[in-house]
Amino acid sequence: MSLVDDLRSEFHAALAGATSPAAARALRDQFLSRKQGKVTALLKAVGAAPADERRVLGAAANALKQDIEAALDAREAELAAGAPPPGAVDVTLPGRLAAPGRRHPLTQVRERIEDIFLGMGYQIIDGPELEDDWHNFEALNMPPEHPARDMQDTLYLAAPVPPMSAGRPATLLRTHTSGMQIRYMEAHKPPVRIIAPGRVYRRDNFDATHTPMFTQVEGLVVDEGISLGDLKGTLNTFASQFFGREIRTRFRPSFFPYTEPSAELDVECQGCDGTGCGLCKQTGWIEILGCGMVHPAVFEAVGYDPAVYTGFAFGVGIERLALRLYGVDDIRMFYENDLRFLGQVPL
Amino acid sequence: MKAPLTWMREFAPLPDDAAAVASRLGACGFEVASVDGDVIDFEITANRPDCLSVYGLAREAATAFDVALTSGDTSLPDPQGKASIPVSIGDAGCARYAMAVASVTIGPSPEWLAARLAAAGVRPINNIVDITNYVMLEVGHPMHAFDLAKLGGPEIRVRRARDKEALVTLDGVRRTLDDTMLVIADRERAVAVAGVMGGAGSEVSAATTKVAFESAWFLPASVRSASRRLGLKTEASARFERGADISAPARALRRALQLLTQTGAGEVTGGISDVYPRPAAARTVELSRARLARLLGDTVPDTHVERILVHLGFAVRGAAGGWSVDVPTFRVDVAREADLIEEVGRHWGFDRIPATFPALSAVPRPMSPAIARDRKLRRILTGAGLQEACTFTFIEREAAEPFAADANTLVPIANPLSEKFAVLRPSLLPGLVDALVYSRRRETADVRIFESGAVFSSAGETTSVGWLLTGARLSHWSGDASPADFFDARGIADLVSAAFGVTVSARAATRPWFVPGRTAEIALGDDVLGVVGEIVPALLAARGLPAGPPVVGGELALAPLVREDAGAPRRSTPLPRFPSIVRDLSFFIGERLPAAEVRGTIRSNAPPTLVSVREFDRYQGKGVPDGMISLSVRLTFRDNDRTLTDVEVQRSVDAILAALAARHGAILRGKTE
Repeated sequence: MSLVDDLRSEFHAALAGATSPAAARALRDQFLSRKQGKVTALLKAVGAAPADERRVLGAAANALKQDIEAALDAREAELAAGAPPPGAVDVTLPGRLAAPGRRHPLTQVRERIEDIFLGMGYQIIDGPELEDDWHNFEALNMPPEHPARDMQDTLYLAAPVPPMSAGRPATLLRTHTSGMQIRYMEAHKPPVRIIAPGRVYRRDNFDATHTPMFTQVEGLVVDEGISLGDLKGTLNTFASQFFGREIRTRFRPSFFPYTEPSAELDVECQGCDGTGCGLCKQTGWIEILGCGMVHPAVFEAVGYDPAVYTGFAFGVGIERLALRLYGVDDIRMFYENDLRFLGQVPL
Repeated sequence: MKAPLTWMREFAPLPDDAAAVASRLGACGFEVASVDGDVIDFEITANRPDCLSVYGLAREAATAFDVALTSGDTSLPDPQGKASIPVSIGDAGCARYAMAVASVTIGPSPEWLAARLAAAGVRPINNIVDITNYVMLEVGHPMHAFDLAKLGGPEIRVRRARDKEALVTLDGVRRTLDDTMLVIADRERAVAVAGVMGGAGSEVSAATTKVAFESAWFLPASVRSASRRLGLKTEASARFERGADISAPARALRRALQLLTQTGAGEVTGGISDVYPRPAAARTVELSRARLARLLGDTVPDTHVERILVHLGFAVRGAAGGWSVDVPTFRVDVAREADLIEEVGRHWGFDRIPATFPALSAVPRPMSPAIARDRKLRRILTGAGLQEACTFTFIEREAAEPFAADANTLVPIANPLSEKFAVLRPSLLPGLVDALVYSRRRETADVRIFESGAVFSSAGETTSVGWLLTGARLSHWSGDASPADFFDARGIADLVSAAFGVTVSARAATRPWFVPGRTAEIALGDDVLGVVGEIVPALLAARGLPAGPPVVGGELALAPLVREDAGAPRRSTPLPRFPSIVRDLSFFIGERLPAAEVRGTIRSNAPPTLVSVREFDRYQGKGVPDGMISLSVRLTFRDNDRTLTDVEVQRSVDAILAALAARHGAILRGKTE
């Protein structure tokens, strides 16, 4: 009897490994083939067994044969059920698509800012990158020899070039996008509610935190009765929408020649939620923009009556926000265009 | 401005807590760079030269903490008598010149004085120079001391420098002056650049026994101009060019004389000479209560308005609807009402002002066409699998020159940061080439990038879009990874044009930066919008690109595209109601004949029912006669009013073939349905 039991054990051990139709077929041959099947051989051996054992042994061998047949049938049916239909493909292989292109991270931040202000009813304007002295400085309450010109170390053209549209020849690379706002006010009466995005240039160092070229979004609102409170409400809304949650802010008095009063806006540090960390030099605050109430001299320069109109203006540096948003610590990465970096920003 | 708190506390009973003082002043507009023990380092904005002084900062702190500021000058000496040497002012660049002579014994300063200077970041030199520096830090008014023995005359003449007049300044540099610069001179020669730096020839030395103390007021523009022309910035010039206090010279001088006695460094001889021909008129600015509330968006109680302004040194009188405010001479930044509103606002506290939202009083205008254009471009091109790049507007001359039609049209920057940023880009391609090289050298084989932005020539600024492609168009396990070629670059030009609703044509052209034979001009009618082609490999190698598949690209001017796109939304055409008939033709034709010309011949010999001509195969090689190609085109015929018959279409096809044979020697290969 142990012969039968051994053979059954051997079969079941082999069955476990028979996971393909070919392996099941080989197993069937191995045990049941008419010529060399192991069970066939056993059945043949039954005739040679002593007469008193023959009946029991015969019954056991037949039972084994039926068990094996049933087990193989079941396995083959199981394997047949799992077989792929004709023309099946390996769906786990990668799909076919052209590698997607992405907007540059600075564009993404810029459009994110633009969209927030679009939602608040602002018009987006554009203007030339080469400016004349009037639009970049004088109309902004920075006459020649004004010490505030030192705040924006300017890159000048070796020779003037014709302006983009009619006007004075361009002599310098704009140090801010405020020139566009002057142009807009020269051409339109209040109310004004605009943002002016674009590249700006300063003769600044080129290191992990400075580039001689960067991107700004400036905003300007002019109407009767615009107040510093309106500036606060607008920029608080902007900060919360930009960072995607209610965020604490503070307005610190500062100085810009074209605004009076002037302020800088700090938001609570994203790195530590305002508790103090290396990112915010333990202050809990990160400065994100400069702003203020439009200086009456600017209104006079564009022919608005400062007794009637008030307004606020602000300027956001996009790179600085992008550093925070993407967790980048070197501003130069935005201008290297390493596709391994650009490919990480959202589509 | 490094201000030791103990020094500030000599003038106001401030809390003995540097962090608290720093924090409170930080909220009033004085950003704090650092607090180091007792010393607070304030960043003083350009409009507040009065706070480039311990006393000025004490005044602000006294206002912020609402404590009394003590006047420093009650016990100052006021020596009477005739000044020992004559002073004459010969130029309007100097509005006041105060001077006193003292006999001195040169030596080191007492320890307490030297320690204060050091804490404020000024190196002690000797007792006399240290006194002038101490007064500058405390009062904010720069002073100078001359060795009287070295002054010709001795006398002081304030005048313009003579052209090319030479002066060795205290830093040992020999400077050539010009007649725009104001100098202090003795009888013969310049002994100091006014408000900037003294001369080495009259420097106080160990051998000095008599000094002349100068405490003057110079015109900001004059000092600024001289400082800039000489490339020389000093503590003195920084204060004068922002605007010193015209009331300060005599007081600063008296403070110096007090210190002279206190420290035992010397004694004044004679009186103070104070030449001040036209004393400055007092300035009064009206402040309206209503406009204060309107600009801040908050009502500050009258008592606070008056408290703040008085603390800050203004004289305040009630007036109809507000106040008449006399501006002290040290507040050179306060000229009009808004300036006073800022003073009230920052000490009232910006954080107390309630946040509101401005009412929308007009419907916003649509965004500028250029902004809408750029957004559309990005949408279309990123959708086509191109990555947006952002490259510098100014580049190296070597990178720019190969892409400029003429090197003379490049726009150089007068004062570039470095040679890497020397000229404005004449094209977007050089920047994109460098970006492509950067990525190719960092394990990225396939690059598809674009940028839109300003480009420059001596004719001015325009905007364009540029793109570069290299490597596999599509990288997939199933096979085809053929590299991008000319037609991929051309395809982007077609895509951009289509995005702006125009159909452009291409014609063979040459550009120095593109491979001859694989360069095309893209035109809209007769206007050339730009070029596409394959970049010259040597040019890429010069920028460091390792060998590899071709780099193709293009650039289009955007202004004409936007002009075309500016019209009304395009209307759709009704879908055809009758079936079309398609005929495919394959023929041998000369290899140099442009496809556009073949298309033109077909169109000009076809009836209006020919609605489309499209090439679908081009082959050269086995089975094609030498000098010829096999070109296959698909012709689609349709009539909007009826179903065409095979017979009439065949007539049209025959006519076309006859024309192709007659004009171009085309040989029909066979006809397939």
